[in-house]
Amino acid sequence: MRFGVVLERLAQLIPVLFGVCLVVFLMVTLTPGDPVEIMLGNERSTPEQAEELRRQMGLHLPPHERFFAFIGNAVTGDFGRSFFHRRPVIEVIAERLPATLELTIVAMTIALGLAIPLGILAALKRGSWLDRVATMVSLAGVSMPGFWFGIMLIMLFAVHLGWMPVSGRVDYALEVPRLTGMILFDSLAHGRFDTFRDALHHILMPALTLGLAMSALLMRVTRASMIEVLQQDYILFAEAKGIGRARLILRHGLRNALIPTVTVAALETGYLLGGNTIVETVFGWPGLARVIVEGIFSRDYPLVQAGVLVIALIYVGVNFVADLLYTLINPRVKL
Amino acid sequence: MTKRRIPSLLASAALLAMLVAVSAPSSAADLRVGFTQDALTLDPANHRKRETETIIRNIYDGVMTQAANGEVLPELVESFRQIDPTTYEAVLRRNVKFHSGEPMTAEDIKFTFDRLTKDKAMGGETSPRQSLLGPLQDTIVVDAHTVRFKLKEPWPVFPRMLPVQEVVSKAWVTRVGDAALAGQANGTGPFRLVEWRRGDSIIMERFADYYGGTPAIPPAGPARVDRAIFKIIPENASRVAALLAGEVEIINEVPIHMIGQIERSGRARIAKANGTRTFFIALNVTKPPFNDVRVRRAANHAVDKKLLIDKLLGGAATSVAGVLSPESFGFKPGIREYRHDPEQARKLMAEAGLSGGVDVTIDTEGAFKDQAEAIAAMLTRVGIRAKVQVWEGAVLTPVWRAQNKTRDMYLSSWGSGALDPTGIFVPTLKTKDRGNSSGYSNAEVDRLLTLADGELDPAKRADMYHQAERIVAEEAPWLFLWVPQDIYAISNRVRGWEPGSDSRINLHRAHFVN
Repeated sequence: MRFGVVLERLAQLIPVLFGVCLVVFLMVTLTPGDPVEIMLGNERSTPEQAEELRRQMGLHLPPHERFFAFIGNAVTGDFGRSFFHRRPVIEVIAERLPATLELTIVAMTIALGLAIPLGILAALKRGSWLDRVATMVSLAGVSMPGFWFGIMLIMLFAVHLGWMPVSGRVDYALEVPRLTGMILFDSLAHGRFDTFRDALHHILMPALTLGLAMSALLMRVTRASMIEVLQQDYILFAEAKGIGRARLILRHGLRNALIPTVTVAALETGYLLGGNTIVETVFGWPGLARVIVEGIFSRDYPLVQAGVLVIALIYVGVNFVADLLYTLINPRVKL
Repeated sequence: MTKRRIPSLLASAALLAMLVAVSAPSSAADLRVGFTQDALTLDPANHRKRETETIIRNIYDGVMTQAANGEVLPELVESFRQIDPTTYEAVLRRNVKFHSGEPMTAEDIKFTFDRLTKDKAMGGETSPRQSLLGPLQDTIVVDAHTVRFKLKEPWPVFPRMLPVQEVVSKAWVTRVGDAALAGQANGTGPFRLVEWRRGDSIIMERFADYYGGTPAIPPAGPARVDRAIFKIIPENASRVAALLAGEVEIINEVPIHMIGQIERSGRARIAKANGTRTFFIALNVTKPPFNDVRVRRAANHAVDKKLLIDKLLGGAATSVAGVLSPESFGFKPGIREYRHDPEQARKLMAEAGLSGGVDVTIDTEGAFKDQAEAIAAMLTRVGIRAKVQVWEGAVLTPVWRAQNKTRDMYLSSWGSGALDPTGIFVPTLKTKDRGNSSGYSNAEVDRLLTLADGELDPAKRADMYHQAERIVAEEAPWLFLWVPQDIYAISNRVRGWEPGSDSRINLHRAHFVN
């Protein structure tokens, strides 16, 4: 992999991100509903006060000027001020993003941890009871709505058994050291094992809710891809050479079969980052997705624009890393 | 199994065991509230949100406070009196300290109110709460413990607006800067801010040097729990689950269909208080068919409100014959309510020449779709063939606020936190006022509302509102509905807090029983 190619690929991301900015800007601007009216609500106000508020929010400028101001400022890391939080948007995002990232990472770990071994087993024992059970569980996982599954987990493990906390990231009485904002990581880095344990305890149910649904899809992809690879001539050849079973499956089979799994995992990570509003709401998880949805209802343009841009940035970043991973998994793949 | 694998298996098992064992570092003397929304900011002057106010009010006290029954009482002041139609004088309590340890003085009161009312006084920005203080022109320091509030014109509702303005320290704000107030707090209230984990929880602890709050609501003294925590749990089912699992002791916005589950649990009780919002259907009086008072009366007779309240609202609402909630200033019984009488409705429709019926649309937001559909079915039975159109609030509100009314019916609500007619009657029914969705205009009502706005004798003022309300009930620009109750659940272990009609959760007097 040449460094130049990587740079070229990175440069290609710029128009993508510009496109995202434009689409999001147009969507929030064209959606009916006036942030000034929402903010003033039902209270008494003069037209002058409304105009002053409009000016403070920068909404007195024509749309194209607002767009280029947004792009110009965004490049320097300034995303403007949130209309409703009434402070810089970047602060709001910086507070919420680590919670979403942490949940995504743990959910994805659970999903891959379940999907890859189960996918391999199902492929090896195709048509067996194990394969059927795995397929059925995966079908259930894909079709189960996240909010329902989440609430069922809460009712069983938090209310009836009392094993798990219902909501939040960590017990309020525990000290949370600050570093990255990801509590699991920060508490380990500072040797606060009590906080780590409690945070793990809190993240388990939301991460399971997201991870199980995700693992269902990943398992099916891994299984299908593994079945295809196992039918290749080189597998037969390797088997004829007398290679051990484990080595055959893991080195020769899995390595080749993983590419579709990596692709889907990268796409699903994007979904987890932006689409887990429901799970964040059910488990009172203070993540980015929830704050963006609140922003949409209150027409908090700067917050929505910046929030979506950050998610898009991570999404293209993850997919870029996935592309790089292909070349590591299978050196024949060229960027 | 190879020897190498044993340690890793043991480690996994240990991790699992560690997870299943519940950790419980939180102390038993901590009171936790499962609350729907996080504060947007901790700056008392920089928001317009009821939920933000509810949280902040535990840290910051106000010049005045409001009892659960709606009565306005002095809080940070010993006395509060009106000395002429446009001037009020307040004498401060002597022993009030901010959490930083500095004593509160008249300068702090002036600074607080200047910050709220003067243009660009909040670090270069104007407070979004400016309009809540109406014609307040100036706050004058008389001596270290006395201030005067000077109004541009008489405004009898002024004292009622004071419980929702909290006092900040001049020295502290100058020291830390206005922007810092968004995330830090230094109030005079019963709790001191420990930490705000945004979106997750606000952790407060008892302020040992608290002056005790207003003696008018006993018992005065410091807070009775060690810590108070607002845990943000936006989802209804999860909030109820947190209460049942013992993770929180108080929750707000209990959904009606979960009341039974909470009561059966034996762990908590349900507490209700009339809310501050009146629900109604605005009838567009500027065009047919609702420009005819007979059709408007027919609509009122067609709806069985008792049935709707019992079946759709779980009994948790109070039917209203007019505009004002029973807790509001100026509310008087005796306004004749349109009884459920479909026969009378059909007769009125025939008188209006509409015996063949008429087609109309009820506009509303998603949350009230069920209610709108039930009402539509009842109206259809008397010949007002109604269909329901659901909109998003941000889109629908401007459609009905516009002066040119084009649509038929609007199921909506209006709230007045101060429980004063000036905050609900005037905006929704005075000619061309900001929330007059039905396009209603009556010179006598306008005259009475204007007079009442400046009338300083409370009895006379209440009479004026009552007269105006009678006219409105008679002319029926609305299909009058109800005031829903706010529903809370409180753990059986908690005493000392009952919900009031202001939707506030002040935890100062709350405590545990064994």
